[in-house]
Amino acid sequence: MIWLTLLLMALVVFISRYLFLEPRLPIRLGPRVLHFLHYTSPAVLTAIWAPIVFHRDGQLAVTLDNPYFVAAIFAAILAITTRNILLTTVLSMVLFFVIR
Amino acid sequence: MSSQHHPIKASSSRVNLMLQGAVIILPLSIAVVPWGILAGSLAVEAGLFNLQAQAVSAIVFAGSVQLVGMGLIKLGAGLSTLLLTTLFLTSRHLLYSATMRTRISHMPLHRRLILGFLLTDELFAVCSHQTRSEFNFWYAFGAGFSFYLIWQLASLTGILLGQNVPNLDQYGLDFAVAATFIAIVLPTIKKLSVLLTVIIALVLSVWFSLIGIEGGIIISSLIAMSFGYLIALVRKEPL
Repeated sequence: MIWLTLLLMALVVFISRYLFLEPRLPIRLGPRVLHFLHYTSPAVLTAIWAPIVFHRDGQLAVTLDNPYFVAAIFAAILAITTRNILLTTVLSMVLFFVIR
Repeated sequence: MSSQHHPIKASSSRVNLMLQGAVIILPLSIAVVPWGILAGSLAVEAGLFNLQAQAVSAIVFAGSVQLVGMGLIKLGAGLSTLLLTTLFLTSRHLLYSATMRTRISHMPLHRRLILGFLLTDELFAVCSHQTRSEFNFWYAFGAGFSFYLIWQLASLTGILLGQNVPNLDQYGLDFAVAATFIAIVLPTIKKLSVLLTVIIALVLSVWFSLIGIEGGIIISSLIAMSFGYLIALVRKEPL
């Protein structure tokens, strides 16, 4: 029974990841849908990172004694000026672990 | 911007491309280690045998689904509850596969299956801003598969530690996720509609998180995407 449960969970996850990669799926993503999906990355990735930075210890933490907030500001500046993913990530993580 | 933002050399060999992918995703692979350990430990705690516990990570391969799912199994929840919860938690992957359709659906079946199986938040993050011509199977596979291997090792560690898992939240490894996603998203903001999408997603996701709404990620994302789309229509922004 547990194996069946695990397989079904895996199936649900896999189908949601694979569904639209299947060319025989009779759906043509028109220009409007593609335009809408263009916002997936900025929206979803932000919705994942923002609570990590701003929601600390059960409350809104937009203060300079929140190392997540300070290091995220630094990461934002680096990201915009250097446009280098790895450099931005590594340097802001160094700052984070120094100040926390 | 792409060449500087994402230096993939067209002449690179397969191994070289896979290594580039593994390197770009490495901060996210490190950040996921505590979650993998926790997922392994929770599976054992839920009453699974070691082999089953490892199989969860090997075949489900989805952090949030595994953490919540193992909790439900431990509570003795029914199969339908478990599967509906899984569907809800995993729904954002539908957006990922739709977004990647133009880049992956023309590939042969085995490549589609592999990339589909590996299409986590993290893999989507490092591939989503690539154009169709920049997107490369071996690069994506190197990123996705290295991430998969680290998830397996972390889960195995958690399984072997069982209930003796140290308190891993205190190390702040989750900052690596924030840092990487900031590094990926901010340089792509070149239009007002994208900027507004990011601001709305930020405010709503933090608010939903503060008031404890499950599924805040997908709800805030869909609202933010709709706003971005509408703003672009109203302003007649070119794509």
